[in-house]
Amino acid sequence: MTAAATGPRKSIVPAGASRHAIFFVLAAVYLAGLAVSPAFAEPNYLFNVLRQIAPVGIAAIGVTLVMILGGVDLSVGAVISLTAVLTASVMAGDPGNIALAIFVACATGFGIGLLNGMIAAFSRVSPFILTLGMGVAVMGLTQMFTGGTAKGTVSPGFREFFNFRIGGYVPVLALALLLLAGIGLFIEKATTFGRQLFLVGTNRATAILSGLPVRGVTIVAYALSGLFGALAGIALLARSGVSSTVAGQGLEFQVLAAVVLGGTTFVGGRGGIAGTVAGTLVLVIAFNLVNIAGLPYQMQLIVMGGIIILASALYGRISEHVG
Amino acid sequence: MAVARAQRWLAFERDGIFLLLAATVVISAMTIPAFRDPANLANVIRQAGVLGILAIGQTFVIVAGMIDLSIGMIAGLVVVLSSVLLYGEAALTLPVVALMILVGGGIGLLNGVLLNTLRLHPLILTFGMLSVLQGAIFSFTDKSVGRTSEPLSILANGDIFGIPWSAILLMGLAIGAHVLFARTQFGYHLVAAGGNPESARRAGINVERIRLAVFVISGATAGLAGVLLAGRLGTGYPLAGSGLELDAIVAVVLGGTLLSGGRGSVWRSLAGVLMLAVISNVLNLLGVSAFVQQFIKGVIVIVAILLNQPRGANT
Repeated sequence: MTAAATGPRKSIVPAGASRHAIFFVLAAVYLAGLAVSPAFAEPNYLFNVLRQIAPVGIAAIGVTLVMILGGVDLSVGAVISLTAVLTASVMAGDPGNIALAIFVACATGFGIGLLNGMIAAFSRVSPFILTLGMGVAVMGLTQMFTGGTAKGTVSPGFREFFNFRIGGYVPVLALALLLLAGIGLFIEKATTFGRQLFLVGTNRATAILSGLPVRGVTIVAYALSGLFGALAGIALLARSGVSSTVAGQGLEFQVLAAVVLGGTTFVGGRGGIAGTVAGTLVLVIAFNLVNIAGLPYQMQLIVMGGIIILASALYGRISEHVG
Repeated sequence: MAVARAQRWLAFERDGIFLLLAATVVISAMTIPAFRDPANLANVIRQAGVLGILAIGQTFVIVAGMIDLSIGMIAGLVVVLSSVLLYGEAALTLPVVALMILVGGGIGLLNGVLLNTLRLHPLILTFGMLSVLQGAIFSFTDKSVGRTSEPLSILANGDIFGIPWSAILLMGLAIGAHVLFARTQFGYHLVAAGGNPESARRAGINVERIRLAVFVISGATAGLAGVLLAGRLGTGYPLAGSGLELDAIVAVVLGGTLLSGGRGSVWRSLAGVLMLAVISNVLNLLGVSAFVQQFIKGVIVIVAILLNQPRGANT
């Protein structure tokens, strides 16, 4: 945050300890993984892990922006399902339709985010309940659209492109995650909008009194979250090839866990996308450790819930000490 | 004048749900013949039983300025656990029901203790707990297991003199809850702690203990709701409880209880529950698909919270 010197110097950045805690956790979890299984030293395995978590990671970037603002977006799981099904349906097995399909999915995600943002900006409803409700409505829309079953056909070339390993190692999907994280970081660190996100999240009342476009910032943040949700839906379709109605169901838990782990708190005003990326990696390594330990897949839900609670508590404590 | 208008609006907000419910029932009865069939009306009330019990618990939590998203999964866990423990054995009914209420209350106690010691926002805490409980249920089973007992089936589906047993249970519970809420010191302290925790604390009220108590109440009622739900389903279906927490919150919110805490009533929450049950029944009678119903449900959530906002300074 070197650029902070030019802006109003509010204490929006907590002490280094809490800002970097997640990176130490990531290192520790990675070393634990390395100790348990030599696979963690193989680039191929690591890139595969990255490919595996790409949908969650991409969605988490958008949700981070909303949470810095002091909001939250739990409709993202439903948006992922809807956009995955939409992409497959518009493609209808024809490679010529891929661009159109991606555009339709992105526009839809953006539109849902826009709606969330407008309601959040022009009312004082709890964004938690608002986006939970929006998730239910979008889930209903998806099922109305599909009739409750899988729908659409993935075009040849679509999955092949995203799962192609550049140089034999780096899957395009993993690269897409890193690229989108880079774009998110740019929005967060280098734009006026990014600065305003932190200011609104730190103190909404002050932001309004200072004449910041609070409503505009809110709307854009939620719209971006919807857009990233759509990109995550496309990524999920590319990864699995299955355009089931419930593909994204429950992913909002993973997304929230990743964001909270990364140090972006529910209160707003702190955290960032770098932490979210690290949080996403911690989450996926933890999942892999659960698998390696031979625990049932469903234990992931328990791990995630535990992470959401404990990480929130920990960051809450740290920020209490700092200021 | 602004004050008078605000007061009129408050009165409408307080009692509007009764008018809305009455209007919906009258219009439905006039336009849909199948709706006014006594058997159908009894069915509406039976359907409202589970949600009604959950909403009573949630009313306490919301009045205290908290929220509990874990109740759906507590009920779901109880559906599975009670069915496995009972396996159709009628003689075990009472001990199992008691145990399930204890299990629910115990999870609520855990919520309350974590909330107070970790000082977390209740949304985050209970959302995490929702995930943990869902994982616990699915780790245990991913398909229907066990069988509920005859007495529970009767409680959930049977009538006495044409009145559903579940309606009697719900009324009994509601009267108890209303007395606790409106006639005891605990109730007064609860309202004070929810309205303004800082003032309540300064007035010597142990806000932490109130919060602990409401989560225990919420968990225990979720346990009871789970047993009733198992009675309705007949078996331990692992997905039975998912989404019920949102329905319960919406019912309370429809009843005019502010999510910011400090006021609310058991009766208005129950009117909200009946409202949801009537809407769902009418949509079923009209042959609206489950998918469209889910969409409508989401829209109801959003409209309900939009109508529920605290008036005042628009920040």
